[in-house]
Amino acid sequence: MIRVGVDVGGTFTDIVLEHSEAGDGEQKVFVTKVPSTLHDQSEGVVKGVLQVCKLAGVEPGEIDMLFHGTTVATNMVIERNGAEVGMLTTKGFRDILHMGRHKRPHNFSLQFDVPWQSKPLVKRRNRIAISERIMPPDGTVEVGLDEDEVREAAELFKKRGLNAVIISFLFSFLNDSHEQRAKEIVKEVMPGAYICASSEVVNVIREYERFSSTAMNAYIGPKTARYLSNLENRLKENGVDAIVRIMQSNGGISTIENSSERPIGLLLSGPAGGVIGGRWTGGHCDTGNVITIDIGGTSADISVIQNGELRIKNPRDTEVASLPVLVPMIDIDAIGAGGGSIAYVDAGGAFRVGPRSAGATPGPACYGNGGTEPTVTDAQVALGRLDPAHFLGGDISIDPDLAVKAIEEKIAKPLGFTVTEAALGILKVINNNMALAINANSVAKGIDPRSFTLMGFGGAGPLHSVALGEIIGAKDVIAPLQPGITAAMGLLVTDLQYEYTRSVLAFLDTADEASFANVNKIAGELMAEADAQLESDGIPKEARRFKKVMECRYVGQGFELRAEMPDEPLSADNVKVVIDNFFDIHKQQYGHAFRDQVTEAVTIRVVANAAVEQLRLPDLPKGGRANPEDAQLYTRKTVFDDGVEVETPRYDRMKLLADDTVAGPALITQHNSTTLVPPGHTATVLGHGDLRIARI
Amino acid sequence: MTTELDPITLQVVGGALHSIAEQMGNVLYRMSYSSIIRESQDLGAGLFDTEYNTLCESDSTPMHIGSLPGYLRGIEQTVPLSDWKPGDCVIHNHPYKGASHSPDIAIVMPVFFEGELVGFSANTAHHVDIGAATPGLIIDVPDVWAEGMLLDGVKLYEEGVRNENLWKYIRDNTRVPGLVMGDLEAQIASAELGVRRFEELLQTYGKATVLQATRQLMDYTERMMRREIAKIPDGEYFAEGFLDDDGRDRTKTLPIKVCVRVTGDSVEIDLTGSSPQVPTAFNVPFDGSTMVAAFFVFRAMLLDTYTSTEFVPQNEGSFRPIKVTAPKGCIFNPVMPAAAEARFCQIQRMADLVIKALSPVLPEKCTAGNAATLSFAAFSGVRPNGDYWVFLEVNEAAMGGRPESDGPDTIEELMRNTRNNPLEDLGMHLPLICDRYEVRDDVPPGAGKFRGGSGVVKSQRYLTPGYMTHESDRHLDVPWGVFGGKEGACGKMEIYNFERPDEIRQEYSKFSGLRTEEGDVVSYFSPSGGGYGDPLERDPQKVLDDVLDGFIDVDHAKEAYGVVLKEVDNGYGWDLDLPATEALRAQSAA
Repeated sequence: MIRVGVDVGGTFTDIVLEHSEAGDGEQKVFVTKVPSTLHDQSEGVVKGVLQVCKLAGVEPGEIDMLFHGTTVATNMVIERNGAEVGMLTTKGFRDILHMGRHKRPHNFSLQFDVPWQSKPLVKRRNRIAISERIMPPDGTVEVGLDEDEVREAAELFKKRGLNAVIISFLFSFLNDSHEQRAKEIVKEVMPGAYICASSEVVNVIREYERFSSTAMNAYIGPKTARYLSNLENRLKENGVDAIVRIMQSNGGISTIENSSERPIGLLLSGPAGGVIGGRWTGGHCDTGNVITIDIGGTSADISVIQNGELRIKNPRDTEVASLPVLVPMIDIDAIGAGGGSIAYVDAGGAFRVGPRSAGATPGPACYGNGGTEPTVTDAQVALGRLDPAHFLGGDISIDPDLAVKAIEEKIAKPLGFTVTEAALGILKVINNNMALAINANSVAKGIDPRSFTLMGFGGAGPLHSVALGEIIGAKDVIAPLQPGITAAMGLLVTDLQYEYTRSVLAFLDTADEASFANVNKIAGELMAEADAQLESDGIPKEARRFKKVMECRYVGQGFELRAEMPDEPLSADNVKVVIDNFFDIHKQQYGHAFRDQVTEAVTIRVVANAAVEQLRLPDLPKGGRANPEDAQLYTRKTVFDDGVEVETPRYDRMKLLADDTVAGPALITQHNSTTLVPPGHTATVLGHGDLRIARI
Repeated sequence: MTTELDPITLQVVGGALHSIAEQMGNVLYRMSYSSIIRESQDLGAGLFDTEYNTLCESDSTPMHIGSLPGYLRGIEQTVPLSDWKPGDCVIHNHPYKGASHSPDIAIVMPVFFEGELVGFSANTAHHVDIGAATPGLIIDVPDVWAEGMLLDGVKLYEEGVRNENLWKYIRDNTRVPGLVMGDLEAQIASAELGVRRFEELLQTYGKATVLQATRQLMDYTERMMRREIAKIPDGEYFAEGFLDDDGRDRTKTLPIKVCVRVTGDSVEIDLTGSSPQVPTAFNVPFDGSTMVAAFFVFRAMLLDTYTSTEFVPQNEGSFRPIKVTAPKGCIFNPVMPAAAEARFCQIQRMADLVIKALSPVLPEKCTAGNAATLSFAAFSGVRPNGDYWVFLEVNEAAMGGRPESDGPDTIEELMRNTRNNPLEDLGMHLPLICDRYEVRDDVPPGAGKFRGGSGVVKSQRYLTPGYMTHESDRHLDVPWGVFGGKEGACGKMEIYNFERPDEIRQEYSKFSGLRTEEGDVVSYFSPSGGGYGDPLERDPQKVLDDVLDGFIDVDHAKEAYGVVLKEVDNGYGWDLDLPATEALRAQSAA
């Protein structure tokens, strides 16, 4: 079995190839890196795949499966270069997308931008209101669909040359017959167009969020579909005949066909791989509670894994580029803090680091590409924590003098610090910013970091991990075997996963037989849909797994939380299980929960998945040595957070064996990453080569 | 006194405080029941020291930001600092003792560290109904006693034990106990969280360091604000406008006069000459509302978070350079027992007039006339089982054109920034159905190089008989244009029955306790903003876009903007006729 993972980042495309013999036979892993080709990511992907094949000595045709994390859809939203979309909506409600939730994005501003008005997914001229009216609470028709108006609108869209159309009617989550009929008509008029109805994309209550999600799906639909089919063709032309699967925002993988129909599920396809990689690393380190932080050049992605499970964001909080996206997404927070974050003193005299970044050009001052502002990377270099010879394995040359000069001029002199104090200050502020973001995604949501392991990856991750772990009070710290490609590894270890949702609106405490019957009917239909999808993916029956979740609130609340449902049909006998699960999660999230309030189910969600064969890492030979001399490279002066400069040995990570320990102060270097082991800490090499770092 | 902290520790403590306030706000609106809190986020939360300085505040809605110190000073008249015990919780809403207005109830809990009172964790939230004369909102009532429950520094918890009689009293005196009691629970949970997090912060960094950090952060914010004020030339700047009426006497408009007095790095807003207080609820509590509006407008104009890269923490520092003067007995500083619940339209206009007064010297930071109003609608009725339903809806309006961009359409402007309610959620739960919610297209927005924003139109239909109170203004005084821009449009209110849509009745901007019948439709049209700069300088492409998007029509493009369009057959209907446009514009400019 040969499986390949391809993770496309802003700068590099990472490729991992895993070659395993059947059964428990020998298994090898090969990794490589090529520059990303942002005009068409598939070029870089194919180039990288061919390169890794060469490295592994296999033919492209031998690859069985290829897993891909892509930022194509996300970039389209951020850069606003998606399709020109037409919209049919209910008469009287032409501007739901223009008004949004009528809240402006800034409280204290007069000059702010309103992205959904200045850069709309569907222009007002292309939003055509149609006579039709579905009424709550039961979906009766007050005004029938005017089919002539629909046809006329479709003809107009066709004349305007649009190739994507959405149909978004009010209350379609109660009755989708008008949306479906309108879709048929549009299809007749515009057979080649990308058409979707809101009740198909996200069949849930709340018009703005549903309409906007649907609009986004159509906005990114045509180009994403084209990209995926290009990728498939380009791979085929180059002899790669593998099954291709795409990473989804919810941490699952899906087919090209499904991803083309619902590209809205791909918006976190990029960062999701890292979190999955973190979970998998935690798994083979016997650590189920992990806080992951993926540190790149300009930003850091933070997520929490609890008991080996990904945390899924509350659908009310999922947005991309300030627009709501009602699909399940891993709870990943991104903050503007990374190696390129710039340190400066502002007009009021405050010391700041980021979110402004030096980016790839000019990059940190030490790159010598004309950057004069000090960055986090410059601080690491100035403190002797990044050696010029080993920076990105020597791929990029750096000049420590430029780092020192930038820090001295911009920070140290104005604030009356030494360069060392200023460099330590830069790291302290950036680490603190990251720690606050970690707290917002953990402590603020009821997670106690004292029972969690902090895992930092991305090239710069292991430079910050121990300091971050200390600030947030994490139990210990793990530096994965290959911090630079943890995200690509994650692609090889994801499950096939689909989610299906529908609104239900039922008062659980007072539900009658009819109510339970309706809930069970909806759940049954969702299960059947999910089952059919897995069937068509060729997943054997015994490998299919289903989870039923109810999104609940106390009657009168506006925000729902997820409560797991029992496997059996819901009835008066077991409804308490859902109510109790909701009570527990409410208490965990808010610190309070109520026994005297009625619980209302708002949506049912069925999560269907199937385990795919997992990447297995070879066991590392046992070493069991303390500070092994064989792995030592040289020593050099390095400053740690206490401000003391000490002669610090460097270890070659590739020469460390299982159960070896390295006592701080030490730096453990590898091709594209450096792990900092401060004084008072010890790093222990785990069975597969990951490092666990803890206080002595 | 502790010595000056290093900038790094300062940044660390500042970040932690900011994050505590955000978490407090989040718990409050996510847990709450009434749509005015959970959807609209009409709330504020933060931490305060024992001198009632704001240490941090949630970034929820501007009206609440900066109002809590007034509550704390009001509470001190009943509960002096020496009377606080750990586990206490005070509830307060007295408009003559610091409250923003009576429906904004505050929950305050003390924070102790090593046995000593070090500060407070507090929040306010707008409650749907506190048992006033009419359901939800009031306009035409005689005095503050008609506003409903007055809670004047009352301990809801004493040393961790809830006063069950008081709890029952509150439950018994609102029309919608299910919402109000749940919202109070959410406020208590939020305040408890603040207490816990503040204690943890003190434990981590020590009391001296934390308090020193808060002092320095306030100084920093003050410094940033003074630096910007100092850039404004010294002098007196004037603007005036008027309000429709007081909700009872429809014959008399009410003047607002603003004088902005800039002296060095300080500024005074003098409201002398504005209308005397009125005999209805259309008055403004001074501490909790008038002052807050003054603080808001300077912060938004001078430390605009969109145009500046620096994050300036929200605290007392930004208030220090600003003085507000309003004579006793004027509409902005009424004398007890005048009712003062319906205060929002006045402060919106006051803030907008400050912008107008300063526009000649701050052309890059001002806007043309904003809608600067409020449409606060209380829909209510009695269900067949005898329970009341009350729904408060805030309708947005629009902003004036700006130095580099059009005024946003259909948006919450100035002092407010709530969210609308999903129409589908309402439809599922209330005997009310929305028939129309769109950009207003019966009048064009104010023309300008950068046009004003278009207002909103929203029509709600009663499915059963009910009541309605509407707090609004600006049917008469049009939002102005600046620097050659044209004026926007006034608001209006139309009522008709679904069965007889042609029999439309125009209604005043404010009305109280209107009885409605099944099928009655209430249509609110908000004002639209004024234009900024000469319309003849507007990019013709933008004028074409506005025509294609239906914000303006072809005739208006020609008359107001001098842009001539020609018919084309490309599915869009119109394209620019540039030679004709150039000729017309040259002729108009001549």
